[in-house]
Amino acid sequence: MLNATGLGGNANRRYRAGKLEKRNTLIAYTFLAPNFIGFFIFTLIPVAFSIALAFLNWNGGALNTITFAGLENFATLLKRFNFTRNELGVTLKNTAFFTLFTVPLSIACALLLALALNRAVCGAKVFRTIFFFPYIASLVAVCVCWSFMLMKLGPVNQMLELVGISVGKSWTQSREYAIWALIIVSVWRNAGYYMVMYLAGLQGVPAELYEAATVDGANGWHKFWKVTFPMLTPTTFFVSIMMTIYCFKIFDVVQIMTEGGPGRSTKMLVNYIYQLAFIDIKYGQASAVAMALFAIVLIITLAQFRIEKKWVNYM
Amino acid sequence: MRRIMAVLLAAVMLACLAPAALAEEDVTITVVAWDIATTPYYQMYKEAFEAANPGLKVEYIDLAAQDYSQKVGTMLAGGDKSDVLFIKELSDATNWSAQGYIAPLDDYIAADGLDMGAFAGMADCYVDLEGNQVALPYRADYWVLFYNKDLFDAAGVDYPTNDMTWDQYAELAKQMTSGTEGVDKVYGSHYHTWRSDVVNWAVCDGVNTLADGEYGDLAYFYNLALDLEDAGAVMAYPDLKASGLHYRGAFAAGNVAMLPMGYWEMGNLVSDTNSGDMSFNYGFVAVPHKEDVPAGSTFGSPTGASINTASENKDAAWKFLSYIAGEEGAKTLAPTGNRPAFINDAVAEVMALVDGFPTDEASKAALIPTAVYLEWPIGEKVTELKTMTDEEHTLIMTRELTVEEGIAEMNERAAEILAD
Repeated sequence: MLNATGLGGNANRRYRAGKLEKRNTLIAYTFLAPNFIGFFIFTLIPVAFSIALAFLNWNGGALNTITFAGLENFATLLKRFNFTRNELGVTLKNTAFFTLFTVPLSIACALLLALALNRAVCGAKVFRTIFFFPYIASLVAVCVCWSFMLMKLGPVNQMLELVGISVGKSWTQSREYAIWALIIVSVWRNAGYYMVMYLAGLQGVPAELYEAATVDGANGWHKFWKVTFPMLTPTTFFVSIMMTIYCFKIFDVVQIMTEGGPGRSTKMLVNYIYQLAFIDIKYGQASAVAMALFAIVLIITLAQFRIEKKWVNYM
Repeated sequence: MRRIMAVLLAAVMLACLAPAALAEEDVTITVVAWDIATTPYYQMYKEAFEAANPGLKVEYIDLAAQDYSQKVGTMLAGGDKSDVLFIKELSDATNWSAQGYIAPLDDYIAADGLDMGAFAGMADCYVDLEGNQVALPYRADYWVLFYNKDLFDAAGVDYPTNDMTWDQYAELAKQMTSGTEGVDKVYGSHYHTWRSDVVNWAVCDGVNTLADGEYGDLAYFYNLALDLEDAGAVMAYPDLKASGLHYRGAFAAGNVAMLPMGYWEMGNLVSDTNSGDMSFNYGFVAVPHKEDVPAGSTFGSPTGASINTASENKDAAWKFLSYIAGEEGAKTLAPTGNRPAFINDAVAEVMALVDGFPTDEASKAALIPTAVYLEWPIGEKVTELKTMTDEEHTLIMTRELTVEEGIAEMNERAAEILAD
């Protein structure tokens, strides 16, 4: 068939393709615009403003009452810094303790659940749904239920009594146990969600690796440590980063279950930010703590990526 | 035809303008306040005041409650000429006075002979650093002791009185306690989980405040509350905290004999009585007092109003302010269930007329306290001290710290806060 446009056809087509590309790009941007405008106004500007606020003095009055503070907000926060009395020190210590236990426990529970449900157990699908349920249940309802279960004469204490452990007080009302109540709820809530990730990871482990291991005479224990676990390290890496971030920004569970108490035993960094901003009306200092929180999470995440190469195995 | 229309229209317009022109001598008082649409008494003030003062009109400017103080501060800085300013935060009165935004009222008060004693001390927080009265309270919530009459009748025990010491109260609470948990338990009293409900009584001597950095005066009240807990006469704090039981539900359940609480609870009790939701009779008396403190001393917090220095109708503004803060305004406010700051026998009479109000004489007498002290004084570090005392309160009440340890920690932390 003859080309109707003759010699100029090729160039013309190229010209038209360029125009089409431009139009497509424009259409793509138009589709993205509503989302991006929303993100720009409601996320990007407030984030930028909060960074700026860390270096300003503002107690909520008219905008012309804002004054430049330099590093004063940070200096105020670090004044007499220690881990027993200073507000920042205490909340930092509590958050670190909470993270230190919640992250490994969540990972262990999620992995165990996934391993158990990855076999062709009768009713595996039902159990998967059951274990995932805490993640989609209303957080407030979950926290209130756990508070009741962990009360002085609640079911948890009664069961512990049966095995000879006497707690004798409401978990959320004790300096010793309150933080453990928060850890239990967080682990219980997150384990089901990350179990799903591990299940997906397990699907990706090639069967021939197990076959080879069997031929080499490996038992179940060896297979787990030499095949399953190394093959799951990318999932573990992802889960540990997500859980660390979750733990550092923990707020809702604390606010509902303990309000940071008794005393300051469960007061976390975000609770402190909330208090500074909305009770003491010191937006500058609140932003300064928020910046510190951001820096901590960033450093930990970067460190995790740095050591990633040492233990994460991408096949 | 068109010309006729034009003439007619002009005539109509003139006719509309005429009454406005005639009424030009009317003075309009501009009043700045918050939540006007949702608070019925503003409208009641306006109607009653305009009816009593022909020629004076009241016009409200409604601002959002949330950042009311900042907004009014900005308006005043910009030379706003509104006449009357309602005051939301106690500290605003002293701040605005220091900046010359609000006018001293002493000459007006002296000229009118306003009975300052009727405020039972609640006007004192509106005295500025130079000793001028710069605002007057129109509302004041204070704390009283509610009790369940039916439980006292059933036990054959005399009702609480307006002159009881805290020791007598504790004894009475133990006397009223009976039964077994889950079956027929009656609690002698009830403390809500707030710090104010357990230990704020220390400020009722008019000497101690919660902002002075010295908390030894709270020990007596902590020991009293923990002792009642040990005796099973009040529900245990950790259980209340863990279960989140509200004091209103606890008292309404009908097995709590006494409840120290703010006067605002009256509104709920009145409406529950009228709706038939409440199955028992109640009364209230003045809160107990320590041996060396006069009976009828309590604590509370006022809400007031002031006059703008830049107002061009100061005399008219004073008329409105003295009306809402004085006896007439108090009588207007009384039927709404809110407690007027100005209280005398005549006002108490109107308050007691409300349907569902207890009918006994002791309740009526308890409407007039001897002295009302501020729950928290005005000060720079007050929010920090509030948070700190609340935190230590939870430690003492959960018995994680002994009373002595807790108070020592309060003192140490207060010293650090006040030093900054």
